[in-house]
Amino acid sequence: MDDALGMAQDSSGPPARSRRFSLSDRQVGILFMLPFIITAAAFMVWPVIEAVRMAFYAYNPLRPDDIHWVGLENFERIFDDPLFWESFHQALIWTGWSIFFQTVLGVGLAMLLNMTLPGMAVFRGLLLFPYIVPTVVIALNWRWIFNSEIGIVNHALLQLGIIDQNIAWLSTPDMAMASAILLNVWKYTPFVIICVLARLQTIPTELYDAAKVDGAHSWRRFIDITLPMLKEVLVVVIVFRTIWTFNKFEEIYLLTRGGPGTSTFNLAVYAFEEGMANLRLGVAAATGVVMIALLLVGTVIYVRVSGFGREEKSA
Amino acid sequence: MTARDVAIRLALYALLAAVTFLVCFPLIWAFFTSMKPKDEIFLWPPTLWPNTWTLENYRALLVGRDAYFQAGANNNAAPPPSAFFLDWFWNSVIVTIGTTVITTIVSTLAAYSLTRFSFPGQRAVPYLALVGYMVPSIIFVFPMFLVMVDLRLTDTLLSLVFGYVCITLPFSMWLMWAFFRGVPIEIEEAALVDGASRLRVFWEIVLPTAWPGIVAAAIFTVIVSWNDYLFGRVFMNSMENLPLTVGVMHFFDGTHVDWGLMMASSVLMTMPMAILFMALQRHLVAGFGAGAVKG
Repeated sequence: MDDALGMAQDSSGPPARSRRFSLSDRQVGILFMLPFIITAAAFMVWPVIEAVRMAFYAYNPLRPDDIHWVGLENFERIFDDPLFWESFHQALIWTGWSIFFQTVLGVGLAMLLNMTLPGMAVFRGLLLFPYIVPTVVIALNWRWIFNSEIGIVNHALLQLGIIDQNIAWLSTPDMAMASAILLNVWKYTPFVIICVLARLQTIPTELYDAAKVDGAHSWRRFIDITLPMLKEVLVVVIVFRTIWTFNKFEEIYLLTRGGPGTSTFNLAVYAFEEGMANLRLGVAAATGVVMIALLLVGTVIYVRVSGFGREEKSA
Repeated sequence: MTARDVAIRLALYALLAAVTFLVCFPLIWAFFTSMKPKDEIFLWPPTLWPNTWTLENYRALLVGRDAYFQAGANNNAAPPPSAFFLDWFWNSVIVTIGTTVITTIVSTLAAYSLTRFSFPGQRAVPYLALVGYMVPSIIFVFPMFLVMVDLRLTDTLLSLVFGYVCITLPFSMWLMWAFFRGVPIEIEEAALVDGASRLRVFWEIVLPTAWPGIVAAAIFTVIVSWNDYLFGRVFMNSMENLPLTVGVMHFFDGTHVDWGLMMASSVLMTMPMAILFMALQRHLVAGFGAGAVKG
């Protein structure tokens, strides 16, 4: 109270000098915005412009003096490259299965975790844990448990009689892709769980009680009540996860290096190999431009379905 | 409670326990492996519970460098990758702290400005952040590398800080933006009417209210900077300058793969995140709730 009075007195008679230095709202606003604008310009906008510009140049980082304009040659090159299309195709498989399992498991586990049972908080905590585990750690652990000779997964499957000889998980193309998808599902299902759980907790229980009185079984209650309520959040989560999963690099590269052969390449691994191994930064950049184009489509869909920015206009 | 309810309850717990076990298993297994001596790690069939418990893998990582130099560093053999483990660890700590401080301050100021003031071009900023948030690191990394070459910053920790600020700023900013929109403006207006200056209102009223959002944004920044591999791989050359993630992948360099060292590094690398997670889990979930997560 005293403090508020003090402030009031300050404003009643500010000395001329402080008035000269006091900032208008707009000035304070711009001042607060300035660090972001500078950082964004230097480390986001500039690199993106560079990324697009590089796509039209031939550029080998070991010969920095020999940069020359090649027009659309880099794009022609990737569109003629069977590996680019193979990577694209594999990216679709990788994304499709990852999203499918993440969504199904995410919704299922969120519904389990939404029940009020003693000790649920512990399970909630543990099931969210994979999200914070470094990708490098998961990749190392995966390579170890899926080791074809002394891995624990082969041992367990042998013991259970599911397989009768060791499986070379990471060195046969289909199994390598499956292992990578499993890693992705392991790491990012918590994301779906948290988003769905947050929505589930806002569904009024009266709806379920009423349905129970009407004699609806649990499966009908899920189809008629839960699923429609979740539709909105699921669409947003799926669009998000699709954009990110499609462009994932580390989850694949650290586990399989795109191998065996090129059987787990996606566009991100393709771009990385072009840039790092083949030193064709122009080609890598052209691949990046294709990825940006695809993700802009995804972003537009996201803005449409989520109503992003709508609240801002009404505010 | 009827017998049927009890049975259902038990079944649910069993299901949850099974799922939790599967989720935690890779890390539990990494821990057990890291505590086994080398010859036991290569046993087939594998021992589930270690026969012999040892800290030799951790010792190799934590005092590996001293051991190497004491063994006579003037021999011509290059030091083993494990000799650099502590360097890598501190590099990651420094870069993570640097990134988190810069990103959090910049995004907090910007998000506050965005929700409380009007200025030209304001509408475009959230969209800019959204696009930045969607663009994957693989697209940024090569042009960022060229920027770092121009700035003569390659192979420095500062280049990593800049790289991580670039990938964390958009989503941190977005999270803070979502958060500040939810903080009622009335209290601030009341204080302003009472004659407090904008800066004073920001410092004494806004920051304390926004603290949970700031903590959530900071945690996500910490996770992303601690976990990144790509920027470290492209920007850094010298063994002693690598971040932890890039460094430990050098354990695959030789012909003989030392799984004990590898699993001990996984445990040590996960430890700081696990501690952070346990301490601040509530805030983490709040951040997810605000709808802004990078992953």
